[in-house]
Amino acid sequence: MNPIFQGLITIAIGVGGIFLYFIASNAFLDKVLFPAKGPNTSRNINRANTIRPWLFMAPTIIALSLYLVYPVIGSFYRSLFNRSGADFIGFTNYTTMFASSEFRTAFFNNVLWALVVPSVSTFLGLLIAQLTDKLRWGNIAKSLIFMPMAISFVGASLIWKFVYAIDPELGVINALRVNLFGAAPLDVLQVAFWNNIFLMVILIWVQTGFAMVILSAALRGIPEETIEAAIIDGANPFQVFFKIQVPQVTNTIIVVFTTTTILVLKVFDIVYAMTGGNFNTQILPSYMMQFMFRDDGRATAVAIVIMLIVTPVMVQNIRQARAEMR
Amino acid sequence: MQTKRTLVSAATLVVALGATSAFAQDLLYPKGDGDFSWDALDAFAAEHDYSGETMDVTGATTGDDAQRYRNLYAYFADATGATVNYSGSESFEQDIVIAGQAGGLPDVALFPQPGLAKDLASQGVLVPVADSLDGFMLDNYAAGESWNQLATYPGADGEEDVFGIFFGTDVKSLVWYVPEQFEEAGYDIPETQEELMALSQQIVDEGGTPWCIGLGSGAATGWPATDWVEDMMLRTASLEDYDRWVSNDLPFNDPIVVNAIEQYGMYALTDGFVDGGPAAAATTDFRDSPDGMFDFPPACYMHKQASFIPIFFPDDVEAGTDVEFFYFPPFEANEELGRPVLGSGGIASPTNDRDVTTGFLEFLGTPIAHEIMMAQGQFLSPHQDANLDIYTSDVQRALGEILTTATSFRFDGSDLMPGEIGTNAFWTGMVDYTTGADAQSVADAIQARWEEIQ
Repeated sequence: MNPIFQGLITIAIGVGGIFLYFIASNAFLDKVLFPAKGPNTSRNINRANTIRPWLFMAPTIIALSLYLVYPVIGSFYRSLFNRSGADFIGFTNYTTMFASSEFRTAFFNNVLWALVVPSVSTFLGLLIAQLTDKLRWGNIAKSLIFMPMAISFVGASLIWKFVYAIDPELGVINALRVNLFGAAPLDVLQVAFWNNIFLMVILIWVQTGFAMVILSAALRGIPEETIEAAIIDGANPFQVFFKIQVPQVTNTIIVVFTTTTILVLKVFDIVYAMTGGNFNTQILPSYMMQFMFRDDGRATAVAIVIMLIVTPVMVQNIRQARAEMR
Repeated sequence: MQTKRTLVSAATLVVALGATSAFAQDLLYPKGDGDFSWDALDAFAAEHDYSGETMDVTGATTGDDAQRYRNLYAYFADATGATVNYSGSESFEQDIVIAGQAGGLPDVALFPQPGLAKDLASQGVLVPVADSLDGFMLDNYAAGESWNQLATYPGADGEEDVFGIFFGTDVKSLVWYVPEQFEEAGYDIPETQEELMALSQQIVDEGGTPWCIGLGSGAATGWPATDWVEDMMLRTASLEDYDRWVSNDLPFNDPIVVNAIEQYGMYALTDGFVDGGPAAAATTDFRDSPDGMFDFPPACYMHKQASFIPIFFPDDVEAGTDVEFFYFPPFEANEELGRPVLGSGGIASPTNDRDVTTGFLEFLGTPIAHEIMMAQGQFLSPHQDANLDIYTSDVQRALGEILTTATSFRFDGSDLMPGEIGTNAFWTGMVDYTTGADAQSVADAIQARWEEIQ
């Protein structure tokens, strides 16, 4: 059968099935289990209303436990076992991991990533959103800046591999070095410490468009009157931006920031494709890949550490989103 | 070396993953034509009939490479009536491990290196070959003893058995060069390491650059240097030491191993020996690295790489005329070590004992199966009954000869070490060494990592 039909049929069954489930389970609850008639009408209605939310949430709860909760618990359990998965070794995987210098490098680098990438891309996103807002060709500029979002991380890495190429005929950076300054070409991905920043630039390039679009929408949502009032009161453009506009989009800025942070803690493709973790550019997700399918005990231990780091950011993100809704 | 090529690298990641196709096709070489061993095919067809049966084969080869294999399977389908579905994937190594745990195994898996097959055999994912194939490699392959040994692992019950047959090999101990440039400059093919070193120095003295080295391979960056070190091990230490090294009975930081690493450094780290210097070598893609030989004037004169490398040469370069190879020579000082050859190979392993699975592996054991692959190029066979005339070029034939006449043959050591070492710590260690770390500390780090494996 044609895969397209397979896909369509799957979607139809999935969507239709869940639709049927809601209608049927609701009908069962109201008509059969606790009918709103007979001697206990009011008690039945109350009971039905207590059960209904659980009934409706059941598919989600089951799916989440199966695909999120179970894997987390399963991974943690697996991380307590040795390479082959046969012997229980307690927290040995964690102690060896914390003792390894490569893990510490990866951890430190990841902290750096989590600090630099969200700040820079949010900052640039906000700046661009504001600067392009009143421009006639602003939408074209925005589309161009948004475009990298559509590229996969590996695709983006490949593009930047050319930018960073040692050959001055290929790499922009080395072309500048050689032709403007007469210096010898160098491999920027081998420059200690800074190579991390060069890798972050790739993610910033991809992610700035995302920040820009969200923040641009938020800026447009600000009531015109507040800005007009400020201008009439004699505020200069900087004051309007920092004292009137930014405070009104703070919540959005935080959401964008935390979303990007979570993304940063998941991205492994860039490091994997660019340096393979060599030259002290290792980060946790690519460090984990080294062990996957070889020593699942250690791989899951890294995964648990990554999860523990992401959790507070995630909690903050959800809280913020909830606060916005109120 | 298939595995390292297939491991994700920036360049290959964007290439679409291999697709499954099972459409019927014509036979590539009409039956009865040419010097093929058609008798073997007829004999095989007479004994095997699997009409209406379907089997799945998976492997790491994709694209044109996979098509070569599909062309071969067409003969099996023609002879037996079975349908063979081959699917290749760049992430074969992960897929097969997942399938082993989650289900969905193919009938036959084509491993690009035996290390993973060994792991899966011990987990009970693979089954031993049928009795009819037990002594197959011993009887039919040159250096059959070593091949058989490389396919013999303990199974889930701890009992040793043969878990597949080798199909397709690469020779690694080769140095590629452009004969025209050697002739013009008046260089002779070195017969010893001492001569090779002297030649390298001479090229530098005359203003040239002797070597192109490229270790870049995306996440697998560093593997070409492991081949250098393995070849140096075979030329500076005994075969027993090599085997002990691979199993870690000889620690990685033993002076013998450190010396082999430093022998590689004599070429890679000496000023002026490598095009672009060692730092560039560490990240230059191994597929692009040989291009320097074909520049004018040449960016380098020699490139050490396995027999598969011609597929990455520029399109207009023809192996055998425009480019040649010589055997990476032994040290005159270590004459007693003979002429060792480093190689690698893929292994076809069954996951069940269906008749059609057994029949398929028996088919891979026929000389005609090897000949059909040989005729399509890029395939070397140790099968003694395969007709050497089938090879499409003298280069291939000469490679086949190296394989069948080596005084000692050893398998790529990094492919046999545990994954964390052979496909990770060893690679990154070699990158560190090439970019300035000293051999002893690199070796210490790899040994420490090895000791961490529980």
